[in-house]
Amino acid sequence: MSDEEHHFESSDAGASKTYPQQAGNIRKGGHIVIKGRPCKVVEVSTSKTGKHGHAKCHFVAIDIFTAKKLEDIVPSSHNCDVPHVNRIDYQLIDISEDGFVSLLTDSGGTKDDLKLPTDDNLSALMKSGFEEGKDVVVSVMSSMGEEQICAVKEVGGGK
Amino acid sequence: MFNGIAGGGAEDLPQLQSTMRAIELACSYIQINTNPAAAEATILSLHQSPQPYKACRFILENSQVASARFQAAAAIKEAAIREWSFLSTEDKGGLISFCLGYVIQHANSSDAYVFSKVSSVAAFHRYSFSRILGNDLFRIFFFWRYMYTICMLIVSVSQVSEFSPSTSSAMSLPREFHENCRKSLEQNYLKTFYSWAQDAALSVTNKIVESNSDVPEVKVCNAALRLMHQILNWEFRYSKGGTKGSINVFSDGMRSDTASSRKTECVIVQPGASWCDVLLSSSHVGWLINLYSLRQKFAFEGYWLDCPVAVSARKLIVQLCSLAGETMHRSRAASAPPSVRVLPWIDPPDVISKEIEEGRSGSEMIDGCRALLSIATVTIPVVFDRLLRSIRPFGTLTLLSLLMGEVVKVLLANSNDKETWSYEARDILLDTWTTLLASMDGSGVLFSFSNLFTNCNFTPIVASASATTDEDDADCLASVSAMDERLGSYALIARAAVDATVPFLTKLFSDRVARLHQGRGTVDPTDTLEEVYSLLLIIGHVLADEGEGETALVPDALQTHFVDVVEAGNHPVVLLSSSIVKFAEQCLDANMRSSIFSPRLMEAVIWFLARWSFTYLMLVEDCNLGSNQLQSLPSRACLFTFFNEHNQGKFVLDIIVRISLTSLMSYPGEKDLQELTCHQLLHALVRRRNICFHLLSLDSWRNLANAFANDKSLFLLNGVSQRSLAQTLVLSAYGMQSSDASNQYVKDLMAHMTSSLVDLANNSDLKNLAQQPDIIMLLCIRELRGAASATEPRTQRAIYEMGLSVMNPVLRLLEVYKHESAVIYLLLKFVVDWVDGQISYLEAHETAGVVNFCMSLLQIYSSHNIGKISLSLSSTLLNEAKTEKYKDLRALLQLLSHLCSKDMVDFSSDSIETQSTNISQVVFFGLHIITPLITLELLKYPKLCFDYFSLISHMLEVYPETLAQLNSDAFNHVLTTVDFGLHQQDVDIVTMCLRALKALASYHYKETKAGNTGLGSHAAGQTDPNGVFHEGILSRFLRTLLQFLLFEDYSTDLVSTAADALFPLILCEPNLYQGLGNELIEKQGNPNFKTRLANALQVLTTSNQLSSSLDRLNYQRFRKNLNNFLIEVRGFLKTK
Repeated sequence: MSDEEHHFESSDAGASKTYPQQAGNIRKGGHIVIKGRPCKVVEVSTSKTGKHGHAKCHFVAIDIFTAKKLEDIVPSSHNCDVPHVNRIDYQLIDISEDGFVSLLTDSGGTKDDLKLPTDDNLSALMKSGFEEGKDVVVSVMSSMGEEQICAVKEVGGGK
Repeated sequence: MFNGIAGGGAEDLPQLQSTMRAIELACSYIQINTNPAAAEATILSLHQSPQPYKACRFILENSQVASARFQAAAAIKEAAIREWSFLSTEDKGGLISFCLGYVIQHANSSDAYVFSKVSSVAAFHRYSFSRILGNDLFRIFFFWRYMYTICMLIVSVSQVSEFSPSTSSAMSLPREFHENCRKSLEQNYLKTFYSWAQDAALSVTNKIVESNSDVPEVKVCNAALRLMHQILNWEFRYSKGGTKGSINVFSDGMRSDTASSRKTECVIVQPGASWCDVLLSSSHVGWLINLYSLRQKFAFEGYWLDCPVAVSARKLIVQLCSLAGETMHRSRAASAPPSVRVLPWIDPPDVISKEIEEGRSGSEMIDGCRALLSIATVTIPVVFDRLLRSIRPFGTLTLLSLLMGEVVKVLLANSNDKETWSYEARDILLDTWTTLLASMDGSGVLFSFSNLFTNCNFTPIVASASATTDEDDADCLASVSAMDERLGSYALIARAAVDATVPFLTKLFSDRVARLHQGRGTVDPTDTLEEVYSLLLIIGHVLADEGEGETALVPDALQTHFVDVVEAGNHPVVLLSSSIVKFAEQCLDANMRSSIFSPRLMEAVIWFLARWSFTYLMLVEDCNLGSNQLQSLPSRACLFTFFNEHNQGKFVLDIIVRISLTSLMSYPGEKDLQELTCHQLLHALVRRRNICFHLLSLDSWRNLANAFANDKSLFLLNGVSQRSLAQTLVLSAYGMQSSDASNQYVKDLMAHMTSSLVDLANNSDLKNLAQQPDIIMLLCIRELRGAASATEPRTQRAIYEMGLSVMNPVLRLLEVYKHESAVIYLLLKFVVDWVDGQISYLEAHETAGVVNFCMSLLQIYSSHNIGKISLSLSSTLLNEAKTEKYKDLRALLQLLSHLCSKDMVDFSSDSIETQSTNISQVVFFGLHIITPLITLELLKYPKLCFDYFSLISHMLEVYPETLAQLNSDAFNHVLTTVDFGLHQQDVDIVTMCLRALKALASYHYKETKAGNTGLGSHAAGQTDPNGVFHEGILSRFLRTLLQFLLFEDYSTDLVSTAADALFPLILCEPNLYQGLGNELIEKQGNPNFKTRLANALQVLTTSNQLSSSLDRLNYQRFRKNLNNFLIEVRGFLKTK
């Protein structure tokens, strides 16, 4: 029992961006790499090829950054790449003129390399919340070396 | 003439013309899409104007624009529906005869849609219609050029009369009225119509016969035949029991005797005794058959077989074959003529099928099969078989099996192209067999007629059946259930001749297996594999019934046959089963597995084992007994004992467990296979206690449990399978001797997972770690959930402790995985299942702990999700996100409902007084937390909506006093949603809201009457700081409900529930009700309506000795009053 223990290591710079997983185990709502892009699976169907062949999985997935639709077919017993997708919450501390934002990290430093999201709703909410002096928390999604602000929440505390 | 309405005369002409022009203009505008809004408004004003008959009539008669005529016809229809109840009898008659006249005059015009609209107006008022038609018809009937039209009209009436509640409510007439219409049409007119149609057809028959080409009489004949067909399709109700005193208004008219699983429609004609003379006179049948067969001389022209007249004639003949009910009981012998005449269509089968292959149409053959099915449905097998004896040397059954063999042969020959006649014929014939065989079982004539069946040669049928499944597979992958049904029918045939089929199947199976082994590695095994696959399926169907949800019995046929077998080893069923188990065992060998056992074959093996073991493995004599008289048979005894615990049972069980472990471990990624294994096979095993007992002593089962607890490869299973595996393993604890041992077993089973989850949650670096997909994979929440859903009294302790130990980790994980919706959902579902299983067993202090845990769960969830806006890059992702949210919220609502159940079902040892937690308060608090998350957008998901409102209405009905104590924000929020629910389309939801209202109002009324405050300030209304008065909650709902009842569209089913809600509301707010009533009366312009409304309102609250106490009697009276009230006033109130 004990030799099967998992070792919980923290991910670091050297860690792989993806993780292999059997195609048959990737579910709707999970993530998958198709054509080098990290995607979210929106549809899985299994088909049997030939009367006594092995099952194949057909994935329809959406690029989590660009929202492009991608498809792939993989034998269900083969491995697929699954991207590490991280979401980290930061507090918004500034929105600069050129559309970049500064965020407060957990350790107290700042993170200044992200732009306002392209989605109008989201950026409007960030701006208005920021101008009203509310505490705005943004979620940043990062995967395979790309980052994007993906959600905003006002915690309140307006004046 | 529409006297009174159209009485204006010439001076109105300019006005009428201008109306017509306006409508025509509007119609043409709509067609070219210029200014559509204005045009629509014009047309709408016509539709909604009171009594537009004159204008419409003018347009219908004079307009050249077809679409304008169409609009006018539609307007007439709408107005008539709306105003029908207060038109004078004269006007009604005038309107109908105008419509009829119009239809008849314009029957030949090309714009069929105007025609159909107008005729539907006429048809709508079918009651008067049938009377008027009866008189008018005498005058015009003999002009044959009208006959086509008339026939079509009647056809449309009889179709319309399959009416739905919506049409009955639209005219605001009670259901009884329509029932009466139905009755009068059925009893007084249908037969007359039928004879007319027959006369009409007869009168033109000669002309058709004499001429060679397509004369117009053919059309008439066709229409008449269709009418006759349609009339026979009528759902006869009243003539069956002779005189039926009262009409059962609410019977839904479903026939109880038709087997619902049928693929082929077969209407049983039951017109009752009075039809005897018309239908059974030999001249009638003879004429029909002659009409049909005479035309066969034109067959060489390729004109006849599929032409409409022939098709209708054939349909009618088939229908006559199925004459049932009293007509038939009187003179059963008379059914012979039509059925014998049908014979040339199908006999001899081989010649006909050959002709069809050479290009003849197959429709005749198919209709012949249908006729056989009809006859089989209404006769018992003996009579069925005897039908042919008089003219042929063999019985009908022999013909049937010959036919079946022929059809299957043809099917095999051209299996490539689908949708051939043989497909259809095969299905119909299978249904025929099923009908015959099923009725045999029921009537208990099994013994006497089994020899009858053995005379017919079944073997070719079964052989071809097993071969056909090959061909079916390709297209049946999509519809496994369809194939299941078909196999079931084959199996029924096979069981009828079980003496021959079981040894035959055994031979076939061993033959194929031998071939597989011979060809290993050299020949492509695909074909043989496919045959083995089909064989396994069909054998499974023959040997065992499905047994869904009940104890499966060994089929009677298998118990009663093979009487001469005394040694278990020689029993054919035992032989067959053993050979399959032996074959299945070979999959344990890795080499064999790779070369023979493809995933799909494994699926069949597992499916078979599941079905078989549920029926045969370790039978306990008492529970699997068939009928009593069979018990003493020795053959039966050896069949039963061979696989029991003292004999081979344990050995076979071991093999089965090992096979299932193999299928789980060695076929990675084969989802279907694993689901079959977990859901069917393993579930079937743990269903009986004696098997559980043996399972726990098996090494192989222990291996399975170990692998489940520790082996990574089982973590990779599909989520659903994992859950069900956990459930199965926990359920098997049932087999332990004592409850302590069971608890210990479950504890050991789950300990590893619980501890690893706790470890993970306590890890200091969880935040970084958690996002790695491999860690997410390893979360064992699914297993926990499976275990939780398997809670039984014996193992409840262990599972409670398991849940207790992961409480904090769950909260922690909820925090960490707030972005990972899949994980969140799993966590929530686990908690829901766990609470559901546990809550009723818990002691007071434990309940408090669980409730606190649930509340913090709700709070954490809500704090993460409230006010959050996500990136909406693509609509698909956005929808996904919405769906996820909906699922989460639904789980939370379920959690609250489960908490509610604590007050209803409680097994804890505490007495009721010591109840420390007030569940109702807790649930309201929980609702308060999550209702802000439930947006109106999300309530569009029907399931969520349903769950939400059922929870709300339950809470209001059971704990109205708690609601009264809520603060005004929470209170208002709850009631806003109730208001929202009242305006939903779904009847169930509106009903629940009405029930909630009733509970609320009656609570308030009773409390205030007893001198308490009731709902207090909520009901009284208040003045806000700005000085605006907000009226109380009950007044608001009284207003809404009256508005709803009087002016909106709703199903009539809602009226009585609404009455229950309205009555206490009126009692609570009598002054407001008076005011509203007066307001309504004031608004009416027409003095006639004014008095009617005033009277109706008066009657509503006073008639039937209605008093002001809320008891059952009063509710009943008020319901009746409200019904009458609505019938009286809704018609004109809705008219603008």
